[in-house]
Parts: sequence; structure tokens; C-alpha cells
Amino acid sequence: MEEKKVFTSEIKNLVDKWKDKEGNLIMILHEIQNHHGYVPRELALELSSMLEVPLARIYEVITFYNFFKLSPPGKHRISVCMGTACYLKGAPEIIKEIKNILHVEEGRTTQDGNFHLDVVRCLGCCGLAPVVMIDGKVYGKVKKQEIMDIISTYVKEEE
Amino acid sequence: MYTRTILVKDTGSGTEDKTREVYTKLLDLLRTDKLEDQVQVVRVADIGFYNKGVVIKVLPENTLYVDVKEGDLARLVQATVKEDKPVEGLAQKKEPKQIRIVLRNCGRINPESIEEYIGQDGYRALTKVLLELNPEKVIEEMKKSGLRGRGGAGYPTWMKWKFTRQVAADQKFVICNADEGDPGAYMDRSVLESDPHSVIEGLIIAAYAIGASKGYFYIRAEYPLAVERIKKALAQAYEYGLLGKSILGTDFSFDIDIRLGAGAFVCGEETALIASIEGKRGTPRPRPPYPSVKGLWDKPTAINNVETLANVPYIFLKGADAFARVGTQTSKGTKVFALTGKVRNSGLVEVPMGITLREIVYDIGGGTVSGKNVKAVQTGGPSGGVIPREFLDTPVDYENLQKLGSIMGSGGMIVMDEDDCMVDIAKFYLGFCVDESCGKCAPCRIGGFQMLGVLARIAEGKGKADDPAILKRISFAMQKASLCGLGQGSPNPVLSTLKYFTSEYKEHIENKKCPAGKCVDLLNYSIIQEKCKRCSVCFTNCPVKAIEGNREEGYKILLDKCVKCERCFEVCKFKAIARK
Amino acid sequence: MEKLTPEKLERLSRTSKHKAKNWIRVGMSTCGIAAGAGEVYAAFVEEARKRNLQVEVQKCGCLGMCYAEPLVEVNVEGAPQVVYGKVTKEIAVKILEKHVVSKMLVNDYIFTMET
Repeated sequence: MEEKKVFTSEIKNLVDKWKDKEGNLIMILHEIQNHHGYVPRELALELSSMLEVPLARIYEVITFYNFFKLSPPGKHRISVCMGTACYLKGAPEIIKEIKNILHVEEGRTTQDGNFHLDVVRCLGCCGLAPVVMIDGKVYGKVKKQEIMDIISTYVKEEE
Repeated sequence: MYTRTILVKDTGSGTEDKTREVYTKLLDLLRTDKLEDQVQVVRVADIGFYNKGVVIKVLPENTLYVDVKEGDLARLVQATVKEDKPVEGLAQKKEPKQIRIVLRNCGRINPESIEEYIGQDGYRALTKVLLELNPEKVIEEMKKSGLRGRGGAGYPTWMKWKFTRQVAADQKFVICNADEGDPGAYMDRSVLESDPHSVIEGLIIAAYAIGASKGYFYIRAEYPLAVERIKKALAQAYEYGLLGKSILGTDFSFDIDIRLGAGAFVCGEETALIASIEGKRGTPRPRPPYPSVKGLWDKPTAINNVETLANVPYIFLKGADAFARVGTQTSKGTKVFALTGKVRNSGLVEVPMGITLREIVYDIGGGTVSGKNVKAVQTGGPSGGVIPREFLDTPVDYENLQKLGSIMGSGGMIVMDEDDCMVDIAKFYLGFCVDESCGKCAPCRIGGFQMLGVLARIAEGKGKADDPAILKRISFAMQKASLCGLGQGSPNPVLSTLKYFTSEYKEHIENKKCPAGKCVDLLNYSIIQEKCKRCSVCFTNCPVKAIEGNREEGYKILLDKCVKCERCFEVCKFKAIARK
Repeated sequence: MEKLTPEKLERLSRTSKHKAKNWIRVGMSTCGIAAGAGEVYAAFVEEARKRNLQVEVQKCGCLGMCYAEPLVEVNVEGAPQVVYGKVTKEIAVKILEKHVVSKMLVNDYIFTMET
């Protein structure tokens, strides 16, 4: 059973900070996701009563924006850039290779929960295309043959 | 200490790099004349010229010599070093291709220090505006400058400000649109990260001009460093009283807050962006009423892009006339492009309007990495179009690009070479727009999806003869009937590739071939027997046993079993797998 | 901090001009950091301190030549001001020893800028 997510006092403070500002919902969701890595349903429910807005309003927003996640991300988050420069310089092959190595589909987490694969739109490092970002660290000019080495450093960390 | 420096670089496209040779030769010449203690010779990695033979630059005079022959070296040393003058008939004049207005401080100052910005005349434009000009005069100056919105559409900034000013309201807003979503463009990120105060100063001036009391930065959450630097910069500006109550001791007060985007391309559209700041789904609404009349929380709102705002302090610092001297009749100033793709020097370039695409791609970008011909240049991202190489001499401005079926856009400029398939490119951009369509209006939601289906089948070799006509028909409907710029612009990559690369589409549809070798379904793999060394690597690596044969008789690929995974193509060390 | 008036801004502007004669600027925006600028910056600070060099190591934004990141601009008295590209920790040491100390430019890593 997954442990029940509750608002920590920290998040409560953040919500309080935003509570009286107009148009606060997206900023609060950012705060929640920053903390948990996704927006847990329990928190969305609680938020609904705190802000006195229907749950549907909150989910309407969460599901509209790509950035917000409804399920917990993997331990390591791999984002492969699919901006135009990266696309031209071989990003599709890199995605294929990662999928092969980790047996995972786009937007999914590996069975052991260690890696989450995302295909993202332009990380803004086009000069280094193709680009892969793992947990905020950017790997530039990635070659297909290097993927295995890059991923294995994270696998070792787990062992 | 050296009194002179000679920089050398062989920029020729020849196979042999002569840099080292020329370098040694120059050293020898200097040694003969016993000048080696006064002049240093340095090999450089990049001298700003491409395919111009041996290039030599002499410092501190900054004299340039291109295509220097070995026989010229002695003369060059004699004149520049001993006689203190350039070699006549050999020295070159190079007008700089780039002009830095928007990027004036980028890479020159510490972006986290407001003092360094102030040291570069930062916030001086604001002082001038608040002390010497009334809002009408500010708008008048903006009109004189001719600055047009750098976010894509090129709407004159002064008109936007004037309309917002004209509407009577108890509160007005200004917004800096920093939701740079165009894949392949990152000018705004760079400016926010490298010179955040110039954008803030621009926003304060905009607020003063239209009479706004509150402003927002709407920044992509995917740009954490940009968000952090803007946050820091805002805090510093508050501390110095450049934001908040009574700015610089005047009676003008203005506050700025940050709102984060959350990964929706459509939020770059004004009305969608407003909805997002209000905390709602970022769906656009019909215009009019324009945001200048009914914007954020139904109040008059002016929305300007990052690059537009970064131009504003410069205009008031150097004068509208100085700004308007750069550029063409209709498009003033400079434009920052994120030059990427198959180009050698990918990076940010800031060029005067009116420069040709060829100058950008070849003189600044250094041509293609592969040395292959440029096939096309794409501008404007998913709402833009491809411009084939026949039109590389077109001067870049808003009107010219539009005439060619593309747009200026926010500043992505992607260079494509002969290995890029135009059907594939159209599919890529359209796929992006279909993903990012908010789904509110049918032309965009359904039209895009249907077109993507047609393109997919063309790429798979199942295209039908009337597919181009279908694509054009749907495109037309989307352009006319979509609610916002995303839907209206998304057919552009399809239409422009159809227009300029008709034969490539035909080749896909009629002959089931992809000339660029990109569309996997149209490729067949075979073994080139002359190159094959019968090493059996492909045979053992094929996951579906589609390669048969043995070391004695050689191997062949069984096309009916082949799943086109390209494994054999990758593992073959002798390039003996043909892909056609 | 004191709130500025136009006069105080003017004064601050004058006193805030670059004072250091010898400086090294490391480009620290997303591209640069992704290419390893953080490490390079640390190397400059550390090695300059070890050698007790009179040179100010500064962070700055993006010069725009993303293809050559990490970019480092160097200005020391007695040598031309240049931009080095594709700088690593090893090259950083070389730049300090050759360019900063001996006023000799380092071969093969200079990327000339037009402006």
C-alpha cells in the first residue's frame, strides 16, 4: 500500500502564501509537484476544499498542462529533447535506444521504478543537440553508442 | 611582452589543414628577422571566416587577410611588423555581420548583479523616461523607432501600447511573454538568463507608457535557471527602489510578479496566456475584444515578448533614430535567431533586419556540418515554413519571409541539408501542433489530426495521388477557420514543403521512394557484395533472422522477413549495407 | 539597501563600471553549464588562488556561440582580449599559466568574435 500523502506544514504555508492571490491554482500545483514529483489525488482533494473550488476544476487544469503529472515519477527522470534541432540530429534513434535498454515506453516508468522516460519539447540547448537530461543534468551531443554508459552510471548508483 | 599578435587559421575546405604549416612558417620568418620576442603567432580554432583559405588577423590593428598564399607570408611580415602598415591590395575590410542590441550585455556582465547592469548604463533609459517624457511621448518615440513585436506576428509595439493606453480603466496590466515554446528556439531563455534586467527595465517602461500598475513575467517552468535569475533580478530591483512604490523617487509605482507556464505551447498565444495566468486551462478565446481592451481579469493588458522588451531600454538610451537606422524600410532594428540544425556553428546570432539568409547560414554559421548542400532553411517553428536554397539570397524581414510562405516567428532558424526529408519535416512539425492543439476549435483539432494521417500514409508509402490536394484543402480550412495562431499557422510547414518540394512528395507517393533516405518504411536494405567481407556480424545480429547465407557463399537480406530495424546497417564495419 | 534616486543611480553607474584590469569571464547559462562551465569556473577559481594570481574570475551569461561552449573570455594587461571555446579544466590551467602569467595566447582554442 502506498503511504497516504498529506499536506506537510511546509506546503500548507505555501498554499497560504498563494491563497489570496488571484489565479493561484497553477502556482500552487507547481509547489505541490515540486515537493512530491507529481500531484497526488489526496492532495488535490484537500486543495479543492482549501481553495473552495470543485475538484473537477483542479483536474481540468492538471490534465491540460503537460508539466503536471498524476502518477509518481521514477527515481531517475530521463528527458529526451525532441526539439527540431535534436530531431534532425538523431533524437528519434536515441529514444529507440533508451526504450530498448530500459524496456520502457514514453511517459512510463520502468517496472523497478528506477527510471521514467519522457520525451520533451526543446530543453533550449539546441547548440548541443541531441540532448538528453537525466535528473537535471544535461548530456549534450549524445551518441547512440554512449547511452548505455550514461544509463549504467545511474544503475550502479542503485546497486 | 609582445607588441603584436598574429592569429592564423586555415579555413579552407581542403582535406589538409594547413594551419600548423603556416604557423611554423611565420615563426621561421620572425626568427630570421629576430622578431620572435616582439610578435607572437597563435593558431586559433575559429577566426570567423569559412572556406576562405588561410586567414590571418593581425592584432592590435585588427587587419585581416583572407586566402593568404604561402608566397604572401614574407611580404605580410615585412609590412605589418617592420613597416607598421597593412599590405596593400591584400588587406581586407570586413563589415561586421552581427550587431548587438538585444544581446548587448549578454556574456558581458554577471546576470546576477544589478550593479554590473547599472554599470552598463542600465536603468538610465528608465530614468530618462520617468523624468523627461510623458507616456504619450514614450509611445511617440516607440513609433519613431519602428520596433515590431519579436514574438512572431510583428505587430508594431507602439500601437499595442497606444491602444492599451487609450482604454479607460481602473487597472491595467503588462505581461512579458516568456513562454518560449517553439522547439528549436531559445533566444528568450538566453536573454533572461544573461541579461534579466534589460527585460525588466523594458517592462517598467511599457507599464509607464500604458499606465499599468502591475506586471507579470510568464515564464516556462522548463527554464529553471531563467526563472531563478528573473526572481533574483526582481528582488534586486525592489531593493533599489526600481520597482514598487515611487520608483526612483517619482510618483510612478509598479509591481512585477512571476507566473510559471506548465508545458503548453498554445499558452504563447495572448488570450491563452491570459487564461493561464488566471489559473485556468490555457485555451484561447476569439478576438476581438483584444487584450488591449479586455485582457487579464478583463482589464486592458499589453503583452510583449522578451526580445521586444529587451530592445526598449536601448531605444531610449541611444534614441529612436539610432535604432531605426538599422534594418529595412518596414522592419527596423535587429533580430536574434537561434541558428541550429545541420549548421556548423549553431548558436545565437543577432543580425540587422535585411541581411540575407545566405549571409546568416554561410558567413556566420559557416555552412553545413557535413559540407553537404543546404536543402532548406526553416524559420518560424511549427507555424513557419521551409525556405528552399533557391531563396537564400532573400533579405530577411517580416514581409519577405511571409511572401515566401514562412514567417519571422520568434527566431528559430533551422538549417536542413540533403539528408533531411521534407515529408518527414512536415510530419514532425504538424505532429507537434497536433500534440499541442488545445482542442477547443474543430479546424485545428480535427484538421491537424486528419492531415497528420495523410502525411503518415505518404511516409509509409501508402500515399494516394490526390493526397497533396487533400492536404491543401484541409490547410486552407485551418488557416481560415481556426481560432488562434496555432491552428492558423500549423499548416504552414505542410504547405511550404508541398510548394517547394513537390517532386519529393511525388517520389514518395508515386514511386514509393524517399530520396533523402529518412522514411524507414520506404527503404529497402541489401548487402553490397563488393564491400562485404563476409564477417557474419550482420547475420548474427539480425533479430528476426532475415539474413541468410554463410561465410563461403556470402549473405543476403530477405526482404519479406526484414523488419527494417537497421541493426545490420549499424553493426556493419565495412559500410556494406545499402539503404535505398 | 538604499532606494535609488536619479542622482544616486548616476553615481552607482559610475562606480560600478568594471574596475578589475585582469579578468576571466566564464559563460554560465544553460548551454554553458550543460557543456561543463561549472567545473571550468571552479577550476579557474581554485587554480588562480593556488597560484596567487591577480585576476578576477567572474560568471557571466551567454555569448551566443553555443557550438563552442564552455566559453571563457580573458582580458589581462599586456595581451589581447580573446574568447576561448571548448574549454576544459586542463585548458583552464593552460590559460592561467600561459595567457595570464606569461601573456602568451593559448594555441588552438581561440574563437574570435566579430564584435
